[in-house]
Amino acid sequence: MLDLRVPSGWFFTVLGLILLGMGIFAPETRATLSDANVNLYSGLAMLVFGLFMLFMAWRASRRAA
Amino acid sequence: MKLAPVDYTILAVYFAFVLGIGWILRKKMSTSGDFLLSGRSVPVWITSLAFIAANLGAQELVGMSASGAKYGIMTAHFYWIGAIPAILFVGIFMMPFYYGSKARSVPEYLKMRYDEKTRTYNAFSFAVMTIFSSGISMYALGKLLQLVLGWDFNMSILVSAAIVLVYTFLGGLTSAIYNEVLQFLWIVAGFSPLAILAVAKAGGWQGIQTRLGAMTLAGGMSGRVMTHAWTYMGSPQSNPMGVELFGMVAGLGFVLSFGYWCTNFLVIQRAMAADSMNSARRTPLIGAFPKMFLPFIVIVPGIAAVALANMHVGYSIPVEANGAPNYNLVITTLMAKFYPAGMLGVGLTGLVASFMSGMAGNVTAFNTVWTYDIYQTYIRKNAPDRHYLHVGRATTIVGVLLSIGAAYVATRYDNIMDLLQLVFGFVNAPLFATFLLGMFWKRGTGHAAFSGLVTGTVTAALTWCLTLAEGKGGILGTVHTFPSAMAQSFWIALMAFTSCFLVTLVVSLATKPRPEKDLEGLVYGLTKIPQDRGSWYQRPAPLAVIIIAILLVLNIWFA
Repeated sequence: MLDLRVPSGWFFTVLGLILLGMGIFAPETRATLSDANVNLYSGLAMLVFGLFMLFMAWRASRRAA
Repeated sequence: MKLAPVDYTILAVYFAFVLGIGWILRKKMSTSGDFLLSGRSVPVWITSLAFIAANLGAQELVGMSASGAKYGIMTAHFYWIGAIPAILFVGIFMMPFYYGSKARSVPEYLKMRYDEKTRTYNAFSFAVMTIFSSGISMYALGKLLQLVLGWDFNMSILVSAAIVLVYTFLGGLTSAIYNEVLQFLWIVAGFSPLAILAVAKAGGWQGIQTRLGAMTLAGGMSGRVMTHAWTYMGSPQSNPMGVELFGMVAGLGFVLSFGYWCTNFLVIQRAMAADSMNSARRTPLIGAFPKMFLPFIVIVPGIAAVALANMHVGYSIPVEANGAPNYNLVITTLMAKFYPAGMLGVGLTGLVASFMSGMAGNVTAFNTVWTYDIYQTYIRKNAPDRHYLHVGRATTIVGVLLSIGAAYVATRYDNIMDLLQLVFGFVNAPLFATFLLGMFWKRGTGHAAFSGLVTGTVTAALTWCLTLAEGKGGILGTVHTFPSAMAQSFWIALMAFTSCFLVTLVVSLATKPRPEKDLEGLVYGLTKIPQDRGSWYQRPAPLAVIIIAILLVLNIWFA
């Protein structure tokens, strides 16, 4: 059976990288009511979550093998 | 609102992953059981999140933030007094019978426990209901995207329906469940930053309380009514929901919530797909953990929106053409104000994801009920399994097409939606009484269950016809006037439940009981209740205790 941690890990990694890229290279992209660099912070959080899922999947597959 | 290229890229990434999961899973589908029941082999953390996600449709997300703006934190009752106790009950007490009976669907359990007619009544009403609810939510999503983004209504519903069709057709229930987990995570990722940003802008929970205080005082209610869930429930006049304590706890907390979470195959199916009895029982319980905290990301932004609108910072509650507030647009307008290009794509895709998880849930549940409870019972009984696999696949296409049809019915007749929801309420409200007596009283009989269900539905309809609330109902005269439509619906449910319970009880005693050996594994007292082993997190009871403790804290904190 497919280990769902792999696709969801990749998924959030890709998403995190896109947002992080926006936050770093287009930091002036802001919403009207918020002064925070929302893309940077949420991108970072998603990237960390995605890598964590991938790490868990990698650990599980190593244990199985 | 206009989207940037990066937002469309994010939407495309989402589509690619959802379709990719369906594509990877397509090879595993060799029997009808694989396709319609996931071969009972899905890990528990996945079934748990799917259990919650299948219920978390777009209508729920949009509706909960709208109710938050309208009624305040009282809306959380739908979770804290509504869903969670019912979820605990189904996991601890009912799942041993559902999973242990080896029934493939909820209607099939009714057939094993009672008789064919009770199953058929449930299977047909459920099949019609799932089609219409996925159609109605498709309609709601299409309208919303049209209004907010100017997307073409036809385009957005056809594209999202096509994607749901492709991934459920390829990978069946497993694909739907796996994607629901992804969609759930996406919804959390897309909505929680909004809650944080909106609440922070409104000055935190304290700031919200002060800002809403003046407003509700001016409306003749206490200044704390929007931020306290229990304090103002003494009389319906003192809270914006117009509901009193008994109606809330008994109507919503007991009848409606237990009726939904304990008998609706849409959610039960997720637990039934788990890989063992223990996992099936823990599915609702583990799902309860995220469920308890959902109010903070789906209701609180709505409350914050009202506070922001009172602050003159450049946000106002959207209005309709006639000037009335349109709370359904609260969530999307907040996103437009708080999310920059990039995160905005994540937020809006979260909305699309919630729609898809709701729709796929409906389609896969419809599939199973149609194939096993209707087709295999009435059309072709003893075909080889391969045949039912094909029927299941074909039903996926039919289910999606019917949902699209239902969406267009909803666009043509605005009132038909209200009417249908009303009728479904009548059909659903008594169901929990039937299951309660079926699972915990071996004397209950098939004739009794069927007559109880019919009586319950008729009682619900009569209650609606004889009472009035907000100008609705009362077409046969007015015996009582409810302070709000919500109070009316809670009381209709109560009447339906009580009458079904009593009729089932009385008719059971008057009819011939089924021999006990036929009821083994189906009724309490004649079923081996599994012994739980392992650490605390592997056993249902300790999990339930922790959930109750957190639930109490939440209720007291926001009392």
